[in-house]
Amino acid sequence: MNEIIEVLPTLLRSFGTTLELALLSTIASLLVGTVVAIMRVAPIPPLRWAGTAYVHFVRNTPITIIFFIIVFGLPQVGVIFSFFWFAVLVLTLYTGTFVAETVRAGIQAIPAGQIEAARSIGLSFTQVIRYVVLPQALRSVVPPLATVLIALLKNTSVASAFGVAEAINSMTNLVNVHSTVVLGIMGATGFAYISLALLLGRAFAWLERTVAIVR
Amino acid sequence: MMSMSDSIIVLEKVNKWFGPAHVLRDIDLSVGFGEVVVVAGPSGSGKSTMCRTINRLETINSGAIRVNGQPLPEEGKELANLRSEVGMVFQQFNLFSHLSILDNVALGPLKVRKQSKAEAGERARWLLDRVGIGDQAQKYPAQLSGGQQQRAAIARALAMDPKVILFDEPTSALDPEMINEVLDVIGKLAEDGMTMLVVTHEMGFARQVADRVVFMDAGQIVEQAPPEIFFTRPETARARDFLAKILK
Amino acid sequence: MTTANLFDQPGPKAARRITLFTIGAVVLIAIVVAYAVMELAARGQFDAARWSPLTNPKLILFLLQGLLNTLGAAAVSLVLALVMGIGLAIGRLSDVRFVRGPCVVIVELARAAPVLLSMLFLFLAFPLAFHIDLSAFWTVVLALTLYNGAAIAEIVRAGVLTLPSGQQEAAYAIGLRWWPTMRLVLLPQALRVMLPGLIGQLIVLIKDSALGFIVGYQELAAQAQSAALLFNNPLQTYVVVGLVFVLLNSALSWVSTYVSGRQVGADSRDQAITTVGLEPEAAAALRALDVERRMGR
Repeated sequence: MNEIIEVLPTLLRSFGTTLELALLSTIASLLVGTVVAIMRVAPIPPLRWAGTAYVHFVRNTPITIIFFIIVFGLPQVGVIFSFFWFAVLVLTLYTGTFVAETVRAGIQAIPAGQIEAARSIGLSFTQVIRYVVLPQALRSVVPPLATVLIALLKNTSVASAFGVAEAINSMTNLVNVHSTVVLGIMGATGFAYISLALLLGRAFAWLERTVAIVR
Repeated sequence: MMSMSDSIIVLEKVNKWFGPAHVLRDIDLSVGFGEVVVVAGPSGSGKSTMCRTINRLETINSGAIRVNGQPLPEEGKELANLRSEVGMVFQQFNLFSHLSILDNVALGPLKVRKQSKAEAGERARWLLDRVGIGDQAQKYPAQLSGGQQQRAAIARALAMDPKVILFDEPTSALDPEMINEVLDVIGKLAEDGMTMLVVTHEMGFARQVADRVVFMDAGQIVEQAPPEIFFTRPETARARDFLAKILK
Repeated sequence: MTTANLFDQPGPKAARRITLFTIGAVVLIAIVVAYAVMELAARGQFDAARWSPLTNPKLILFLLQGLLNTLGAAAVSLVLALVMGIGLAIGRLSDVRFVRGPCVVIVELARAAPVLLSMLFLFLAFPLAFHIDLSAFWTVVLALTLYNGAAIAEIVRAGVLTLPSGQQEAAYAIGLRWWPTMRLVLLPQALRVMLPGLIGQLIVLIKDSALGFIVGYQELAAQAQSAALLFNNPLQTYVVVGLVFVLLNSALSWVSTYVSGRQVGADSRDQAITTVGLEPEAAAALRALDVERRMGR
């Protein structure tokens, strides 16, 4: 038992890296995803195709392979970042596709009639987007976005195999040294992940309630 | 015969195709100031499509449309301006579900006419009273019945002080017991002198309120006449068939 | 018949602007692609030395072996996850609280834990703590089953819950009890509706199986890693392997769409009748009919 307590601070600190990874990737993938979603509904065909191609290819590839391509392929063309930043790049590219699909669905879920009604009272295109489309789209993307971002949190674990000293990486190292308390260490790690996921779920449920429209 | 300068809406030789389907054929129609024109006809006759071309929710392939003496703008600010002068009430109400009905009604005056919040709000309240749902002002569309929602939609159209209001089958999506409350509101508007084009299946309403009935079938205007004539002595065979089916 | 859009039908000025932007976008994309290609060529990424290994039949066979292992693990996991998922879903829908509670907990926990964590748990904890040595295959399969079983449980539960409630009422009304109702009425219908979702879960399984390389399972990603190290062509190998995955998963997606499309066609009679655009009398009559149908007459 004492051994576990000795080991906990190291483990907890590594979760700091996990959260850093998750937070940076969240912000970046929300940006990327929203831009791609807009590209996919734009009236300019090349933008639509580019967005669709990006989403299609990246979604259907395992995140592991994307890690391989970025971490081992990019240096071949002279692009070298730290393992941490490579991980942020991979997580952003991967999660960005899911964000894009979620946002696009949110936009397209707005009944077309409301947009017609908005135009027919004389609102300009920007005004229609601002006062009718965005408020409703943003509210409806909250629940699916929660799923996407919790998945992102879990996907940070894959970075452990690609040089990032986050939680899983730390856990594996600790287990190799303190093999007698392997169950304790892994239990603690699992507990931490599950707690974080539940916490995030709660936060999003609160967010959803706060912005809910009476339906 | 009305002179062009008296007409708020003029459609001249309007044609529209949806792919191979010729959905509007050589439509010639004018609506005069203060007139109530009811457009009737079987499903698929093109009545809704024609109605929607007037504020360019649908485009036309040939012909001309003039509103208020000006040719229908194709885009941009001019189109938005025109739309603010032409009200529209939809079959599916299309209220903005994220706003209370008060905000629904006030949105146009607030953002398009740039009125102050107080002004827009006051006028919205007055309009909601006028259509009989002033006490529901803070409710959201989903909390109201279909009839109440449609009345709110009418108030929203009125809020822009339009020169003419287009009604695209305003009662077709309503349960029977609510149709009358909406028709009453529309009837009152007619009495107050609003220029209106109403696409509808409600023949009783047409008989009472219309200045002119326009009968469409298969994309064409087949017959136009004041209601007393249309309902008792229809000229064309198609109109007679239609009336026989509808009126039993 | 009328279509409504985010955008108005463009007028002449707008159409010109769209054309302009389209040309601009094409030019921009062409420039970026050209630049990328030039850079890659300059660094020898198009050299035969890097690409020829991929045409070597022995290597292709090697990779195919990996693909087979990927598919094998995914298939076995799917079957096990289905069993687990249906079981948990039934548990969650049970009338008995003692059954429902634990099922909820299991599903929530299994979904919240990263798959890699489960894999490492089986890989490290089992030998160290329980002295059980699982093969790499079972390490991967069991870890995948845990997560996907929970995911499938939710899909099945959602599938059952979206059935018209009249189905359950009608079953009870003719005297069926809870389990026969589940077995004969609700589950068969729910499973048909869920087929697209289940195929989606298979895609997830195939993607997650790639984590197997971390625990020594020789699936496609692991093979790719060996090959890339041997021939020093990581970019080429991983991109090609990536494309293989994309092809595989795209095909599955297509099947999923096809299946759901066919469902819509086959069951269109079972879906609610829409009455938009009909004469009011006809609409009222149809609505009355629909009510009768829903009441099971």
